[in-house]
Amino acid sequence: MAIVRFSGVNKSFRSTSVVSDLNLELPDGSFTVLVGPSGCGKSTSLRMLAGLESVTSGTITIADRDVTQLQPRDRDVAMVFQNYALYPHLSVRENIAFPLRAAKEPRANALKRADAVAESLGLAMFLDRKPKALSGGQQQRVAIGRAIIREPSVFLFDEPLSNLDAKLRVETRTELLQIQRRLGITCLYVTHDQEEAMTLSDRMVVMRDGRAVQVGTPIEVFNSPVDTFVAAFVGSPKMNLIAGELTGETFTLPSGFALNVGRVGASGPVTLGIRPDDLVPTVADDADARVKLVELLGPRAIVTVDARDTELTCVVEAARLSGITEGTRITLSARPGAVHAFDTKTGQRLVGADQEKHDG
Amino acid sequence: MRNSRTLTICRVALLWAAGISVLFPVVWIALASVKTPEQLNDPFLLSFAPTLDGWRNVLSSGILAAAGRSAIVALTTVGISVVVGSMGAYAIARYRAGGTATRFGMLAAQVLPPAVLVFPFLTMAYALRLNDTLVPVIFAHLSFVLPVVTWFLIGFFEAVPRSLEEQAQVDGFTRFQAFRLVVLPQVFPGMGAAAIFGFTLSWNDLFYGLILAPGKAAILPVAIAGFNTFRGVQIGSMSAAILIAVVPVVIASFFIQRRLVQGISGGAVKF
Amino acid sequence: MTTVKFKHGMVAPLVALFVGVVGFPLGYAFYLSITDYKLTSHGTPKLVGADNYVATVHDSAFWEAFGTTATFVFLAVGLELVIGLAIALALQNQRWARDLTRSMLLAPMFITPIAVGLIFRFLLNDQIGAIPHLLQAVGVDYDFFGPGKALFTLALIDVWQWTPFMVLLLLAGLESIPREPLEAARVDGARGWYVLRRVTLPLLAPVLVVAILLRCLDAMKVFEYVFATTRGGPGTETQTLQYFVYQTGIQFFRLGSASSMAFIVLLLVLTVIVVAFRRMDKAKQS
Repeated sequence: MAIVRFSGVNKSFRSTSVVSDLNLELPDGSFTVLVGPSGCGKSTSLRMLAGLESVTSGTITIADRDVTQLQPRDRDVAMVFQNYALYPHLSVRENIAFPLRAAKEPRANALKRADAVAESLGLAMFLDRKPKALSGGQQQRVAIGRAIIREPSVFLFDEPLSNLDAKLRVETRTELLQIQRRLGITCLYVTHDQEEAMTLSDRMVVMRDGRAVQVGTPIEVFNSPVDTFVAAFVGSPKMNLIAGELTGETFTLPSGFALNVGRVGASGPVTLGIRPDDLVPTVADDADARVKLVELLGPRAIVTVDARDTELTCVVEAARLSGITEGTRITLSARPGAVHAFDTKTGQRLVGADQEKHDG
Repeated sequence: MRNSRTLTICRVALLWAAGISVLFPVVWIALASVKTPEQLNDPFLLSFAPTLDGWRNVLSSGILAAAGRSAIVALTTVGISVVVGSMGAYAIARYRAGGTATRFGMLAAQVLPPAVLVFPFLTMAYALRLNDTLVPVIFAHLSFVLPVVTWFLIGFFEAVPRSLEEQAQVDGFTRFQAFRLVVLPQVFPGMGAAAIFGFTLSWNDLFYGLILAPGKAAILPVAIAGFNTFRGVQIGSMSAAILIAVVPVVIASFFIQRRLVQGISGGAVKF
Repeated sequence: MTTVKFKHGMVAPLVALFVGVVGFPLGYAFYLSITDYKLTSHGTPKLVGADNYVATVHDSAFWEAFGTTATFVFLAVGLELVIGLAIALALQNQRWARDLTRSMLLAPMFITPIAVGLIFRFLLNDQIGAIPHLLQAVGVDYDFFGPGKALFTLALIDVWQWTPFMVLLLLAGLESIPREPLEAARVDGARGWYVLRRVTLPLLAPVLVVAILLRCLDAMKVFEYVFATTRGGPGTETQTLQYFVYQTGIQFFRLGSASSMAFIVLLLVLTVIVVAFRRMDKAKQS
């Protein structure tokens, strides 16, 4: 059982608070992702779990053992850094075997186990090479091999895919997930890429300015964002967030542009959130919204719309694009039940789309 | 285009001139070391029967013993400096140990006029009956080699990514083990250059050696100076002595000139 | 072990040794400078407070030595700067036998200074020196160590030995200058000399300052060349500060006065360093 708990964890440097009141439980064998913009405190939180940063107040436990004051080497965690931190002066085999040497394992044994791990990661032919002779993807696998050889209680990943090119990133992502599932080790993963967070995590923690803003499964966070920040952060292209007046089923912007949004359990001045996938354009010659730009992405297209000087984004399936080109006049409507309402002042959710979706 | 031709000619001419000015004295001394006093009267005499008198004289004069003593002093000084300096430089580079004061201290100690420290060393040596031994010389040499080596190494340690030692810590090593097993290997080239540079500084010192160990424990530069009396100098022997002092260090310098540029641009040029 | 303990533990040997070989002797030297300690005296030396310092400040021989040293430094470092810059620029663009040329040109700075002094003593000697022979062959009779010329000759010896150091620093500086401004200047139509003056030198300025500073501080300590050749002569023409202090302490045994002189020199050196540091910090911030 390697449950990880952050209880009331705070971290400040001099007088600046970097992480505030972090309360998080990572169930055994789960894959949790900390995601957020730079400076949100996600890396600091990870490093506090590793023991590389001290905790200003609060406690961290691993498998019910209080590790808050322990050195990294006594915590039984393994970590993969963004730049892989491979030891340049050691061969791949020695790199992977290194953690075992720390545990005073006899050299011959350690090297043999390293060979086995390298084999399982497809690195067998590189065992005698130095890290600088390997490609980025291969180096990354060596770093992973070095992490799994110890069979630790917790895996920590600090943006490990950021240095790979886009295609490699997607492939490696899948590999990582398969390894974690196979080994069943509790995993904490940090990234700034919301797509990575969505695809990898069992549970996502969206962080901002040192606080955990929302914790939940990817579906929960996507469908019921707790405020405008999370709503805008998760999902690509970004959710349309517009402030205006909601009366009955019509939403009116300050510019006068009106939109039919179906039944939303709120009224008055609100900030409406509609994902581009849920905003449907229809060609209409006398409408007052005009298509600004159409970007074809293969099976879908991103349509940018000028609705009386407010810019909105729609995503349309390529098959349904007929008639929609730059300059076309269109009306917009929202898919029923896919609209979020947020308080314009605080950004907090008033009514979520799930209310309608699950109620209906 | 004509401009760049003349420029190239100037450049090459300058380098040739520099090369000749460097080689000329050295070659002349090498020739002088195998000439008899009469032959020396004609400095450009190139075809002559060389004599090994000068060399024989020198080798039996204890010059090699002095060279040995210089080596002992230099090796001890550099050995201590590298061990102590690398630990300290690491702490300064990573943790800003000692703050700006320490970094400043390292710089100031390098430019300290030896005249300031030599008298305390002398009186302390007398008090401990260690005058005219190598011990005060080693201490005196440490006073400028240690700061130089440390200063050099700070730059090299700063170039090692922090994540390497953090990874080692997570992998199960103590901080000191991480330093020893992972960080140190990355700075070995820099350490080598610093060591050779420090060795040269110690090997070439005259001032401390002259005052602290003028007699039976004379180090090499002092022994060479000993050939220079106003009674008249045996130039042949002295030339041979000079070559003995000069050649090992110049050969060593061939190996470190590239690292020296790195180390100096890392440490001294960057304040 | 906490970070703080580790940090202190690692730097402790350095600090301890530093205090032992620099800090403590420095303090002791200060103590000596306020006593009337003579190497030949027995019993506890008498504290004379600032007497030594006052005497030194009023000693014309001291200030003469100071002036001599200043002239020497100015001549030597000035020449090293110009020649060193020229050679560094020439070396930077060199194509063939690069390492060999550099090693050879850097070699002089590694030779023990006393040996260099002695080599030149005989190379420039009236009777058997090669250079005077060459000059006499073209009708020039130049006494290198004669009155009015000795100090300049010593400066030339310093130039021979230490220009390589200047070259080393300047090369390092030149190689760390970004390429883009130079290429942009060439695209803009600027030619060699102009680029040098307006782009390269300004970018090299911080390195130049450091190089000049280090060389000046080192040249001030000149001793070996004097000891090998003129021993302060003719008269007191080449009596530099370090040599003067050496004479006072070792030849005349007056350690108290010698220490006070050394401290005054140290104060001057430290002032220069602190001022230079401040200027450089300010320059970095602007």
